[in-house]
Amino acid sequence: MSAVVGQGAPIEDPAKIKVETPFRRFCSEFAESKLALGGLIVISIIIVVAILAPFISPQDPYDLAVLDIMDGRLEPGEKSGDGSITYWLGTDDQGRDMLSGIMYGLRISLTVGAGSAFIACMVGASLGLAAAYAGGKTDSIIMRIVDLQLSFPSILVALMILAFLGKSVTNVVIAIVVVEWAYYARTVRGTALVERRREYIEAAECLALPRYRILFRHLLPNCLPPLIVIGTMQVARAIALEATLSFLGLGVPITEPSLGLLIANGYEYMLSGKYWISFYPGIALLVTIVAINLVGDQLRDVLNPRLQK
Amino acid sequence: MRNSIRNAALVAASVVVAGLPAAKAQTLNMGVGSPVTSLDPHYHQLSPNNAVSDMIFDKLVSTDSAARNIPGLAESWRAVGPTTWEFKLRPNVTFHNGNAFTAEDVVFTIQRLPNVPNSPSSYAAYARPIVRMEIVDPLTIRFHTAQPYPLMPLDMTNVRILDSETHANAATEDFNSGRVAIGTGPWRVVNHRSGDRIEFARNDNYWGDKPAFERVNYRMVTNDATRTASLLSGDLDVIDQVPTSDLARLRRDPNINVTETVGLRLVFLGLDHLRAADENSPQITDNDGRPLGRNPLQDVRVRRALSIAIDRKAIAERVMEGAATPSGQFLPPGTYSHVPGLEAPEFNADAARRLLAEAGYPNGFRITLSGPNDRYINDSRIIQAVGQMWTRIGVRTAVEAQTWSTFVGRAGRQEFSSFLIGWGSNPDGSHPLRNILATYSRDRGWGASNRGRFSNAEVDALLTESLSELDNEKREQLLIRAQRIAAEQVAVIPLHIQTNIWASRRGFTHQARVDELTRAQDTRPAAAR
Repeated sequence: MSAVVGQGAPIEDPAKIKVETPFRRFCSEFAESKLALGGLIVISIIIVVAILAPFISPQDPYDLAVLDIMDGRLEPGEKSGDGSITYWLGTDDQGRDMLSGIMYGLRISLTVGAGSAFIACMVGASLGLAAAYAGGKTDSIIMRIVDLQLSFPSILVALMILAFLGKSVTNVVIAIVVVEWAYYARTVRGTALVERRREYIEAAECLALPRYRILFRHLLPNCLPPLIVIGTMQVARAIALEATLSFLGLGVPITEPSLGLLIANGYEYMLSGKYWISFYPGIALLVTIVAINLVGDQLRDVLNPRLQK
Repeated sequence: MRNSIRNAALVAASVVVAGLPAAKAQTLNMGVGSPVTSLDPHYHQLSPNNAVSDMIFDKLVSTDSAARNIPGLAESWRAVGPTTWEFKLRPNVTFHNGNAFTAEDVVFTIQRLPNVPNSPSSYAAYARPIVRMEIVDPLTIRFHTAQPYPLMPLDMTNVRILDSETHANAATEDFNSGRVAIGTGPWRVVNHRSGDRIEFARNDNYWGDKPAFERVNYRMVTNDATRTASLLSGDLDVIDQVPTSDLARLRRDPNINVTETVGLRLVFLGLDHLRAADENSPQITDNDGRPLGRNPLQDVRVRRALSIAIDRKAIAERVMEGAATPSGQFLPPGTYSHVPGLEAPEFNADAARRLLAEAGYPNGFRITLSGPNDRYINDSRIIQAVGQMWTRIGVRTAVEAQTWSTFVGRAGRQEFSSFLIGWGSNPDGSHPLRNILATYSRDRGWGASNRGRFSNAEVDALLTESLSELDNEKREQLLIRAQRIAAEQVAVIPLHIQTNIWASRRGFTHQARVDELTRAQDTRPAAAR
């Protein structure tokens, strides 16, 4: 777009004139921030690595039979005892290849992060819509629950839930959903309250369409932009929360570490100079969360009508 | 702004305090890794509690750093008849409040042992053998037992003596508040903040060696990294349970003094002996995850295979970083009733696979190995390492680590097929035999910690015989025979005996003890160099 303006030359070839669809405009506006574009590329790479981990990682870090305690705490770049693998990022205390550990750890982080954000979004959006559309008592009850939920520190709520349910990956997802649905509910309700007074809803109501159809086919699509923005941010939050819970020893089993548990495993060795056990998973976690946040920030700018030029 | 001024003032104040070396040298700052749960010496049998009790109170029979009996509040003791022990008490001993110590106090103490409400791990067992107490004169007492009882002096090393007057109606809470934390020991309690710190002042009227410091600040620092960092920064002068990950670094540091000794705590794997050969063990399946229909752990060949599949040297060197000695039995060499010639089982994966095949499991099976993650040194790392080694001989192992409180409850309900646990022994084979290897019996008080429910009639018979044998050499032979049978039967899979490690800053020396107790009287200023 800027190139066209800069050259100032009229474009003659009609085949080259792109029709400006909303999606195209969205893409070009998104690409205006090189940082966000970079973030998107990083996320794509991370997702590909996570999906392909079983095929491209040097070792299956969850198979106890291939780990060797004698290879424990090797420095980055050292070879395994039998010379079959070079540990480019070193090994942890169990002789687990850090590179493989990080690839598999990303799988868990992304699955838990995206999965729990998705479920929280479904639950939160439905309740938010219901609150906005029904109003009155329903609205009050749902929103007071949201207020209550938001007044507790999320890590505390998650710890209580895991203490009650016991530790497992499924329970971590449940804990994150319980912690996060309120954000979606509040966002969607705010937007929906504005939208439901619009004429198209009135029209739909005049046609006596069933309520669920008005809610999900008419109201929801018009609440999507803020939902997408908050969804992206919450994925990053969910990943961080999963890492925190695993770091505290409440998440994944110790033989199948996620990034948080890998960091926890190396934490005790920080004082003894064996930095790599915590450092590299920490970097991987940091890069993932920063990249998602960059994309989320740009999405917010692009999708916010008030910032529209 | 306001905050920064206050911070500056705090920094200035701490600089002034630090600048007073004379005052600082009189206070000893100790950091211990496990919390003390009570100041009542008869409430909870736990090493951290016993350490603090040893600072406030005294026992009739004390123990030196190698856990040998030495005179405490009793100057001497002997068996005056087959069922009678006589203790001659130390004269001119007073409690912190000035009350004199006499035989009355001993009688009161023994009577209190079974009557401490809600005790999570009672001292009552030490009172049980005594059927009658006889005060011969104020400084002589006799204990009468129903049967000959050779363990009396050893039992008395666990009983801290209270004052019959001060403690007449004292409840555990009164000890914890510090109000009646009054004994004959080298330290007086000044302040107790439960789970955080205990402050002591020296008892200047102490009958024994006078401690070198006027005050002790005894702090519970449960986070390993924090404890090490506080030592390095000078906040603490002595720490215990030095994390193995920091060991190499601390040994190199010229300002740090590391003292260590092989301890009395064996870390071992318990196995499910409860389910019969034709029953399912709760956490064992075939390779497809279906019930096996039998308990392979009932076959001694399987137990032996699991034992020799473990490379104990690798665990001691790589996981424990040298702070452990591979062992095949509960007691370290040199202690009474150590089984001579019983070495740690030799690692041999091929032989282990052959044994499994012989037992009818050529393709192995699946098992879950459980363990605590906050109780023993590197506990969760050890079970992962064992998991690797078992998986390599075809016994596919899932590893499950949990907090101690959850773990020990489940182990006590026999919910595990295999689990890692530890046992800190008294230096006498009867102690692990009676608690771990004897058939579980609530009535006899046997097998209290026999969570795998191992049971062997021969072991029980030898133990029974030893408990009424007064001749120390004959008794030792009985205990050795019983322990040897248990080892041949692979009652448990012994891994290693922990090394107890303390680290102190330059200027302090700490005497390492085999019984793990961290006591202020064991720290002395180092001789000036």
